[in-house]
Amino acid sequence: MSTITDELLPNRPMRRRKRIRLTPYLFLAPALIWYLIFLVYPMYQSLVISFMRWDGLSADIQFIGVENYRRIFFEDDTARLALRNNVLWTLGTLLIPTTIGLMLAVALDRKLRGRTVLRAIFYGPAVLPLVAVGMIWAWMYNPQFGFINYVLKSIGLGFLARGWLSVYETALPATFLTAVWGGVGFPMVLYLAALQAIPQEQYEAAKMDGANSRQLFWNITLPWLREANVIVFSLAVINSFKTFDLIYTMTYGGPGRSTQVLGTWMYFHAFQYYNAGYGAAIAWVIAAITLVMAIPYIQRMSRD
Amino acid sequence: MFDRKNLMKLLALTMLVSLLASACVATPPQAAAPAGEQPAAAQPAAGGEQITLRWANIIDATGQEQWKAVVDAFQAKYPNIRVVSESTAGSGAAIYPDVLKTSIASGSPPDLFFMWGGSIAQPFIDAGQVMDLGPYYDKFGWHGKFAPWVVERIKSDGKLYGVPYHALGMGFWYNKTLWNEKGWSVPTTFAEQEELCAKMKEAGMYCVSIGGKFGWHTMRVLDYFLEHHCGPELHDKLNRLEERWDHPCVIDSYATFQKWIDNGWVVPDFLTVSPDDSRFPFFAGEAGLVLEGVWYEGVLKNNEQNIADYDFYLPPTDHTPLRFSAFPEQWMIPSGAAHPDEAALFIDFITSPEVQTQFPINDFANSATIGVNPDCNEWPLTCKWREIILSAEDTYPPTDQAFVKELMDGFFEVQDAIVAKRMTPEEGAALMQRRVEEWQAR
Repeated sequence: MSTITDELLPNRPMRRRKRIRLTPYLFLAPALIWYLIFLVYPMYQSLVISFMRWDGLSADIQFIGVENYRRIFFEDDTARLALRNNVLWTLGTLLIPTTIGLMLAVALDRKLRGRTVLRAIFYGPAVLPLVAVGMIWAWMYNPQFGFINYVLKSIGLGFLARGWLSVYETALPATFLTAVWGGVGFPMVLYLAALQAIPQEQYEAAKMDGANSRQLFWNITLPWLREANVIVFSLAVINSFKTFDLIYTMTYGGPGRSTQVLGTWMYFHAFQYYNAGYGAAIAWVIAAITLVMAIPYIQRMSRD
Repeated sequence: MFDRKNLMKLLALTMLVSLLASACVATPPQAAAPAGEQPAAAQPAAGGEQITLRWANIIDATGQEQWKAVVDAFQAKYPNIRVVSESTAGSGAAIYPDVLKTSIASGSPPDLFFMWGGSIAQPFIDAGQVMDLGPYYDKFGWHGKFAPWVVERIKSDGKLYGVPYHALGMGFWYNKTLWNEKGWSVPTTFAEQEELCAKMKEAGMYCVSIGGKFGWHTMRVLDYFLEHHCGPELHDKLNRLEERWDHPCVIDSYATFQKWIDNGWVVPDFLTVSPDDSRFPFFAGEAGLVLEGVWYEGVLKNNEQNIADYDFYLPPTDHTPLRFSAFPEQWMIPSGAAHPDEAALFIDFITSPEVQTQFPINDFANSATIGVNPDCNEWPLTCKWREIILSAEDTYPPTDQAFVKELMDGFFEVQDAIVAKRMTPEEGAALMQRRVEEWQAR
């Protein structure tokens, strides 16, 4: 009622401004309420649990302060191994699928016959569920009947055939190769969108000035991709620290614990070892590391 | 063109959602209410009140079809009770306990649920989330209804929190037609077992096929070596953590495992091969043995193998009595069940020898109920197993039902390192003892 009254008083601008401030929040309210209930509250809950010793089942919950966090960094060998694997995975993801995605985008941005089909083919793996991808590749890596060893033996490279997922040294790289196969399509599409947004006049002007292909790429294409890079790199970091599906389906963290990552180690503790507090602490470590790694980069890019 | 302002907004939103999602991954459900008082074995709802009984299990689609007749018979007898099956099939013990845990912790448990024995069931007991079924044993006369070793195995602190469902044992399965052709016979000592493996190797075969992905398939072979080298008494003490895991007999067991691998007796590179996939070298005649359970006759049938070609034997341990790996499966009732009396009534019905004889479905072939026998023409090897299982003087549990999961993963970690020869047997035993001490300290 008061807002209607305010509207009838055009000579009172101060009160009118108040009404304008309120309206957006009313529109936001449904989404905000949903967000608070289903995202913020569970987050708060998991943060509280991370300071507890709790089996996730009983009513017996003990406050233990930062003990879970201390254990992650100073006591748990596997957590440190998982963190190292996550860092390696992240570096690999920043380098390999993004580079391949960029190369494919540049190639498929040109007028090629069948480029729509090629785009669909390269993007295809990105829409497959990672669990299905993991199972298919685990079969391909099967030491006895797998496609990869079969091909190697068929082309005279049988000496390279091995249990790719069963050998400690190759298990993580072999799993990562699967991630590359499934992860090239997404950066490719983002780069493709960004490439199509580059004004062609700049290329034409540069060509008239005698620029070669490499100069065009370094001086026009790459600067124009800066904002796409923000999205691609940031999501690469975030998704790398959330890696779970492929490890779970392909190696189950093995052999031994050699392919454990923070995501699987969190799951094992929270759901299989009945250490809900410790699992929640690992989840918060994942979130914190991701935040620390991603935010400064975004800020720097924003300033530019 | 990317508009920078919009792009940054989009990015910020994407980042925020992704980050928050990562923090929410492990958000466990609310703490469960304290376990309620144990209800007396009261009379089930009679007559008028319509009740829906929620029954959590891991029965697959084929099994559900078979169970329908049993459930229909129960519902015909008790028309006021409607049984709703909530199945989490196909995951084995990997996911089902998580599903169960979530439903219990969220305050919406089923009325009864399927569970394995030992350490897989223990967290539910320790958390006070399942009922002591002693009063129902008295009420329904369940004492003496089941194989005694199964009842003993599911007891916790002398109490019965479950009702036996299956009694399952494991042994070496082999292709007897192939063995007859080769002139091989079933070994009766551990030395003969190793001689047989050597003969298989000479014949261009592997001795045993293993799928090591989840650890438990490899564990069965290591358990066998532990039983042989440590003997029944010490093996049981190791399982109860009453003996040190750097004991010489553990070192010998690890050394034997490495010997089997070095000799080429095990299908190589098996550490992350799925247990199901380990059957292919066996079916193809490339491996002579698999260490599997009574259920393997069904697996052979499902894979269109000729049952007449196959047989099994208990792995020779050189100890008396000859123990083999065996474990129970059971039905449990959550403390927070809405209809515990009706759940007990349903359990009584489905475990009764009369019902199981009247409905000879596959799931009753390995029943823990005394007096129930499968059709021996249809299930000859299961019949043979039942005689062994129900009359067994003693058995040993698979280690994954003796240890809690966290400690068990330490066992798997060492086991994998031994298989991959990243550790000597002495180093493996020392690390295993360290894992035990770390776990005990927590």
